[in-house]
Amino acid sequence: MKRLKTFNYFEPSTLWEAMEILAEQGDEALPLAGGTDLLVRMKRGDVHPASLVNLKRIKGLNQIIGEPGNGVTIGALASLAAVENSPRICSGFPVLTQAIRVLGIPSIRNLGTLGGNIGRASPAADSVPALIVLNAVVTVQGAQVKKEIKIEDFFLGPGKTILSTGEIITAVRLPEQPSRSGAVYLKLGRRAGAECALVGVAALIELSGRDNELKSARIALSAVSPAPLRAKKVEEILLSGPLTEVRAKEAARVALEVSCPLTDMRASGNYRREMSEVLAFRAIRSAYQIAKGGEVQN
Amino acid sequence: MKISINLTINGRSCQAEVEPRNTLLEVLRNNFYLTGTKEGCGLGDCGTCIVLVNGKPVNSCLMLAVDAQGSQVITIEGLASGDNLHPLQQSFIEKGAVQCGFCSPAMILSAKSLLDTIPEPSDEEIKRALSGVLCRCGSYKKIIEAVRAAVGKTREGN
Amino acid sequence: MKLNYVGKPVLRLDAKEKVTGQAVYSVDIDLPGMLHGAVLRSPFAHAEIIDIDGSAARSVAGVRAVVTGKDFPYTFGPMIKDQPFLACGKVRYVGEPVAAVAADTESAAQEAIEKIKVNYRELAAVFDPQEAARKTAPLIHEDLENYSRSPVFTIVPGTNICTSSSYRLGNPDKGFVEADAVFEDEFYVHAVAHTPMETHAAVAQYQSAKGVYVIWSATDGPYRRCKELAQALGIPLNKVRFISTYSGGGFGGKGALVAESLAVVLARFTDGRPVRVHFLREEELTASQTRIAALIKLKTGVKKEGTLIARRAEIFWDNGAYASKAPEVSVRGALSIFGPYRIPNLEIISKLVYTNKEISGAYRGYGTPQTAFACEVQMDIIAEKLGIDPLQIRLKNAFVEGDSYINGQILQNVGVTETLEKAAGGIDWGKPRSKGSGTKARGRGIATIIKGTKTPTESKCVIKMDSDASVTVISSVVEVGAGQKTIMAQIAADAIGVPLEFISIPNADTQHTPYDFGQTSSRTTYHMGNAICAAGLELRKRILHIAGDILKTDPSKLSVSDGKIIEESKGERMALQEVLAKKFGGPGGAIVAEGSYCPSDSHMLNASPGLKSMSSIFWTFATQAVEVEVDTGTGVVKVLEVAAAHDVGRAINPMSCEQQIEGSVVMGVSNALFEEFRLDKGRVMNDTLADYKIATIMDLPKTTPILVESYHAEGPFGAKGVGEPAAAPIGPAISNAIFDALGIRIKELPITPEKVLEALRKKKKE
Repeated sequence: MKRLKTFNYFEPSTLWEAMEILAEQGDEALPLAGGTDLLVRMKRGDVHPASLVNLKRIKGLNQIIGEPGNGVTIGALASLAAVENSPRICSGFPVLTQAIRVLGIPSIRNLGTLGGNIGRASPAADSVPALIVLNAVVTVQGAQVKKEIKIEDFFLGPGKTILSTGEIITAVRLPEQPSRSGAVYLKLGRRAGAECALVGVAALIELSGRDNELKSARIALSAVSPAPLRAKKVEEILLSGPLTEVRAKEAARVALEVSCPLTDMRASGNYRREMSEVLAFRAIRSAYQIAKGGEVQN
Repeated sequence: MKISINLTINGRSCQAEVEPRNTLLEVLRNNFYLTGTKEGCGLGDCGTCIVLVNGKPVNSCLMLAVDAQGSQVITIEGLASGDNLHPLQQSFIEKGAVQCGFCSPAMILSAKSLLDTIPEPSDEEIKRALSGVLCRCGSYKKIIEAVRAAVGKTREGN
Repeated sequence: MKLNYVGKPVLRLDAKEKVTGQAVYSVDIDLPGMLHGAVLRSPFAHAEIIDIDGSAARSVAGVRAVVTGKDFPYTFGPMIKDQPFLACGKVRYVGEPVAAVAADTESAAQEAIEKIKVNYRELAAVFDPQEAARKTAPLIHEDLENYSRSPVFTIVPGTNICTSSSYRLGNPDKGFVEADAVFEDEFYVHAVAHTPMETHAAVAQYQSAKGVYVIWSATDGPYRRCKELAQALGIPLNKVRFISTYSGGGFGGKGALVAESLAVVLARFTDGRPVRVHFLREEELTASQTRIAALIKLKTGVKKEGTLIARRAEIFWDNGAYASKAPEVSVRGALSIFGPYRIPNLEIISKLVYTNKEISGAYRGYGTPQTAFACEVQMDIIAEKLGIDPLQIRLKNAFVEGDSYINGQILQNVGVTETLEKAAGGIDWGKPRSKGSGTKARGRGIATIIKGTKTPTESKCVIKMDSDASVTVISSVVEVGAGQKTIMAQIAADAIGVPLEFISIPNADTQHTPYDFGQTSSRTTYHMGNAICAAGLELRKRILHIAGDILKTDPSKLSVSDGKIIEESKGERMALQEVLAKKFGGPGGAIVAEGSYCPSDSHMLNASPGLKSMSSIFWTFATQAVEVEVDTGTGVVKVLEVAAAHDVGRAINPMSCEQQIEGSVVMGVSNALFEEFRLDKGRVMNDTLADYKIATIMDLPKTTPILVESYHAEGPFGAKGVGEPAAAPIGPAISNAIFDALGIRIKELPITPEKVLEALRKKKKE
């Protein structure tokens, strides 16, 4: 099979060292996390970095820390499998576990990292819609800078983030998921396993305690726009009154309207648009049912 | 530029001089002649390159060999002890789960990792654990039966 | 003859090697001094090559040879000799090999091909076979009439039609007039990739002093490749040696010179150093071979009670850029359009057309997946219109023992009715069941097929028994993954009368192992099985003769079973090892017997005058019944359950039969629902397994394999074959089940969610 071309290789042991090397190498260097995406792109000839900076020797970037009630901080170098299986994430943020569970395949998840999945900025990234509805904040560090960015503001387009050269994601922070809320991530593919999402929808519904009135709603769509997006217009509809089937359908219709997917070799733009409505409705309904503590109906 | 790596492969301490660009798969096959691990695509899509690194299945075609420094790697050659086959190897034979056999090492290692963490998996859990290994011969049904037949017969650390 | 092994689910003899990682596949062959090959491929679908400059490639460290078509201007082809080893003068598809490099490492070879400069002049390309068939289409093979080819295939000179065939029986026009109803439908079945997990690979070495090429590969027909290569190079057959390895899957895709031809080209220029060419997955998907896409126009006339009385079929087959085995598929495979049904008036017009795309050739089913889709979906269309149950209309028309095939051959061992009844029973056909709820709709469908085997073909073997009674079966059978070697061992053990453990079956090597047509057309169990049976029985005879001598008894009173000599009314007399030890003593020795089988003289092939070539020595039948669930919101189709009943004649190894049936159900579901080449001006865009999607373990339906045994009169112990037919019925069965669920008819493959939703939308409007 395709062999990688030679590259200069750096194995910094501290974050500071990594920042220095990246700043020095500039555009010629790419950070290496899990490699499950970068190495594929290198083998396919899509990128030709002169240098790779391996981040995995840096201690402290792969932990999942946070007391219940206080949110959680996930190190960017935590493997996707570690996040998926973390008891803290499973119990406190089940939608993230659910999303990662359908991301790629188990053996890829043992190598790939959450930071990598975010940083790759694929419009179809599975972890991102879940992170959006969970209100995630991304910590970014560079040689001169450390900043926190809301995940929904992180992406500029396919493969493009707000990261400048030399900056890397170091952590993702999740505030505690509201009590009386339910969240779900639905992914549409052609076959049952190992899929890149044709359409992805995450929904988080928070009940107010008064009948069907919602306290908050967060909806995120992926694979239907240049970057995963938070569908505020859909949320507005959901919050405009008690949640009924009619309102949910109306909200789902808006999901179709805000999506602008391309036709590519995986699916047509039209199909994706239509499916954003179908999945949005189902995600809203399931999230609502989970919030109410009931059985999720398909 | 060559880097010296030390790792344990199938219980044995091993050392190799590798280039940073060499994948673990290339090193296993070319440096250590462990050709039981296969390269079906080189891009992490087929699963035939799966080996266990520190007990976890990984696509060795997407892991740089330098990242295996200090790791315990198990390949298919490391499962049998002498003439005694691992219960999964035995059940794959007995249940007819092997046709062309190209995916068998990856399927068996993935199943071993599953049984080492979930000793009595449901069918759903078996399928999910093996979802990353493609079998074009379509032996999936008998593979699931083989994994089920090995339940209770494996011990962690086997 | 006591059967200790035939009919039993004997464990696969190759399984232990495979589960321990010891099995050597073509990709594992590693030889001293071996070099690695890489191939530069055309970026254009149709272009003239103006010039090639390989000088920069030559200066890459480690490069030992840079070769272009000018250096090796030969052509090959099993039916039409139209394919260059490396492009000569022009390229005809995106991905066609233009130059090749051999280097010390894969990296060096891959780096070097990037440095080869090629100047092309693009030509107009044609991608649709109907368009390509027109006189106005750009000519892909200007020299078609001058290619040497098998006289069996008719070309249309001056066009892109490389095989034109037709067949007629009775009077279809009259039949249509007499029919109570006439149905005309158009169907389309797409090209799919083989995607074996082991891509194509071969190692070749040229020994110049002897003028011999040695090739290691997993090809399914070493002798046929040997002949094709020898003919291409104009050298004797015994100057080409094929050594077989285990195969990591073929499904028909390794039934041609693919990696082998490229390894041979390079080996010619590396001063005797062997060269390995191992296809990238992208190359397997885009530049090996595919199934032949087909557009089928089907007109059928029926009586109101459901009897088929006339059928006319017109098929356009899309060959891609080179013929490969497609001519035979388009002629023989086309005949399966009539299904396993009695149709007194029929006509088929079949055209195989070159297009500027990836070569299409042999694929599991050899034309039946395509024709069965058309035939079996239309059967349901007819059934629905006439108000007849789909199972009943098939039972009504299905062949029975003694019926004539379309060429007059009398059909024997006809298991189709039993397969229909058992498959239907397997999914509770006719019984009430859940129709789904909400956005999920459920339905059932059924499809049945007939598949012959290439006739006549020959298999030969030699069996030797060494002085300790250990047995070696010397044959050219390749273990392509279907368990052929185990079945041969079972037959050998029972034919001779020894324990299975005595039997060893080494790999094929055309220098030593005698002729066999190959592992194709589901022929091995039948043909090689018969040859091995014959050799085994001959060996048994000689053993008993020797035993008679040693025991001073009349050999006719002796028998051998389980490695022991038994005398009538006296019981066990002596172990075989002891007999041979006494016979051969210190100096040693061996007994050798040969066996051969070719059905050409069988009276079972008798047919109407001049039509014997259409006969098959055995016909297999298969029916698959499925239950599907369709999500009416997303259009996604899920196959819930499949009951697959196959008439295998006799199951020599029931477990192997199950493996083939279960396996091909998965492949068929995958072909029908997930797989599709996405092309952009002839270039395959989805060239990885991430985007060319095949079924994963998560997509597995509940599968029930059912073996039907109709006992072939001349097959070994009654056996026929199983591997090929199995992939064909599932496509139409799924389409029929979708109609049952939702009343929408999908007449093309693949069945995608988009097509389902489109059909639902159309139905809503009506």
